[in-house]
Amino acid sequence: MSGSLVNALTLQVITGLQLGAIYALIALGLTLIFGTLGVVNFAHGALYILASYAAVLVAGHTNFVLAVVLVPVFLFLVGIVMERGLIRFFYDRPHTDQILVTFGLAIVIQEALKWAFGANNIPFPLPPWGNGVVFLHEYLPFLEGFVVFPKWRLILVGVSLLVVVGLFLLLQFTTFGLTVRAGMREPDMMRFLGVDVTKRFAVVFGLGALIAGVAGVFGGPITQVSPEVGMAILVPSFLVVVIGGMGSLPGALVAALILGLALSFSAEYAAVQQIVVYLIAVVVLLVRPRGLMGKKGVFE
Amino acid sequence: MGRSPFAADLIAVGLFAAVVLTMPVWIVWIGGYEALATKIVIWAVFALGFDILLGFTGYLSFGHAAFFGTAAYTTGLCLKHLSADILPAFFITGGVSLVVAFVIGLLTLRRSGIYFSILTLAFAEMLHAAALSILQAYTGGDNGLTMHTKPELLGIRMEGLNVFYLAAIVAILGFFAARQIKRSPFGLMLRAIKENAMRLEYTGVNVWAYKMAAYMISAMYASLAGFLMVVLEPYVATKFLHWSTSGEVVIMSVIGGVNTLIGPMIGAAFMLYFENVIQAFIGEQWRLVLGLVFVLIVIFLPGGFVDGFNRIRRAVGLGGRERHHNVPDAPAPVRENRGDRAARQPGE
Repeated sequence: MSGSLVNALTLQVITGLQLGAIYALIALGLTLIFGTLGVVNFAHGALYILASYAAVLVAGHTNFVLAVVLVPVFLFLVGIVMERGLIRFFYDRPHTDQILVTFGLAIVIQEALKWAFGANNIPFPLPPWGNGVVFLHEYLPFLEGFVVFPKWRLILVGVSLLVVVGLFLLLQFTTFGLTVRAGMREPDMMRFLGVDVTKRFAVVFGLGALIAGVAGVFGGPITQVSPEVGMAILVPSFLVVVIGGMGSLPGALVAALILGLALSFSAEYAAVQQIVVYLIAVVVLLVRPRGLMGKKGVFE
Repeated sequence: MGRSPFAADLIAVGLFAAVVLTMPVWIVWIGGYEALATKIVIWAVFALGFDILLGFTGYLSFGHAAFFGTAAYTTGLCLKHLSADILPAFFITGGVSLVVAFVIGLLTLRRSGIYFSILTLAFAEMLHAAALSILQAYTGGDNGLTMHTKPELLGIRMEGLNVFYLAAIVAILGFFAARQIKRSPFGLMLRAIKENAMRLEYTGVNVWAYKMAAYMISAMYASLAGFLMVVLEPYVATKFLHWSTSGEVVIMSVIGGVNTLIGPMIGAAFMLYFENVIQAFIGEQWRLVLGLVFVLIVIFLPGGFVDGFNRIRRAVGLGGRERHHNVPDAPAPVRENRGDRAARQPGE
């Protein structure tokens, strides 16, 4: 293989990882909340963009590191308040009502942000340590010549990996994680065993919001910070959840990766790139309606 | 209730026609203007069709902009390139919309509940993305589809009140048809789908065919609205395909009162009045206020304005109707057990 081809492929794979990373984080939160509480959160994109705005504010007044710490905590609290104050009254109501109330909430958050910060994109300056490029050829010896990649985008990939690993450890090796996994698998059996599933899982809603918070802090500089971004990022994230299989965490990761790579490899054909995500979704739905790793019987 | 159902329909439609046909007069009294009346009637057609899907079958589509927008683009292209007469545009738009509705229905109606909402949203967004990218040469991309055509119908210029009366006739006929559907065995079948699709399936009914029929009828109302919108203003905005258009018709239906037919149309009038008249008083924040109104209604008054009106009537002893459920003859214990909530989606 010629060197330039290897270079191009490597760059496209890394770009694909980066594009998939944001969708992966948002889809993880969505599918976690859906899997445990059975609620589809149409306000999840709004939480993402709320985190971006919060990060701009905190980073602008203090420094970026503080934003990295504070914003996800803030979003966790927002998630808990949302669940305890609003969503929990909707568990007994029809699914359409749950969609409607979270959709309404998304509009309220979006319009409140528009009111406070204006409808236009606001600048999100990168911290000094995140600026510039990385010389990939210094780390990957099989690359030829001079290959660079924006540093911030690599940081985004790294942070996403950390979040995924952290979530995996939390779910796999703690009692809380055990309860959550059991609840995602057999919520009825959990209830028979006397576990108050919905009460226990309020914190899961906060966790999903926290992950959206991390995505908002690190993804904001890339996706831009304007009120409309929330809904724009929610639709592909839904597709990731659907392609991966509703309520499947590994499925969401794999689907996000596939979508990221598809976006990156179709970038040369800009017109097709806009709809490639949907085409993949159509194919998956026709061939395997429950999604790549969906549980048998769930929305099949 | 000595009246026959058909007579009741005629009275209701007659009252509706009287209110609609005089709208250009009375809307001015409350701060509106003629073109706003036309827009309200067009959106009312859209919302009415939406209620045939959401109200009857319980399927919440988040992608009805697909039909509104596709119809608008088709009509626009016909008017621009084919003829300024709206009749060819009408028939071509109808044909195209049927095909689009059938294809999207095939893909989305395999699912119910949440899944259906997500999928309809996704496919509508796909059309929006396609209009901005691969179809840019035809749709004009971000600028929308612009034209200099002055639409006419058999030589009559379609402008001002002419468009209004065209839209009003469509709305009145549409309302009459919707009431007939609701009362027919076909309509009862659709409402049974909302109540318990699985049981219906077990009794040997082809549920899928009924759902598809409801979906396509609903899509045709949306297409009619999209068609009328371009006749009113010969320009197609990309927003017509955007999720926010789907969201608007959802909001209208819910604040007005789902499954009442008249409710979603009242919702449409309320929303457009809010957008065009109240906005002058509360400024740019009208969307925020509207969002809050929507959330509050979803939380506290799931039956919308119509239910609110009936509750007030009951409270003052005039005997307003209870928010009614789908199956009219459910035995009392079932009704009590069900409380005020609709049937859950099957298989969850």
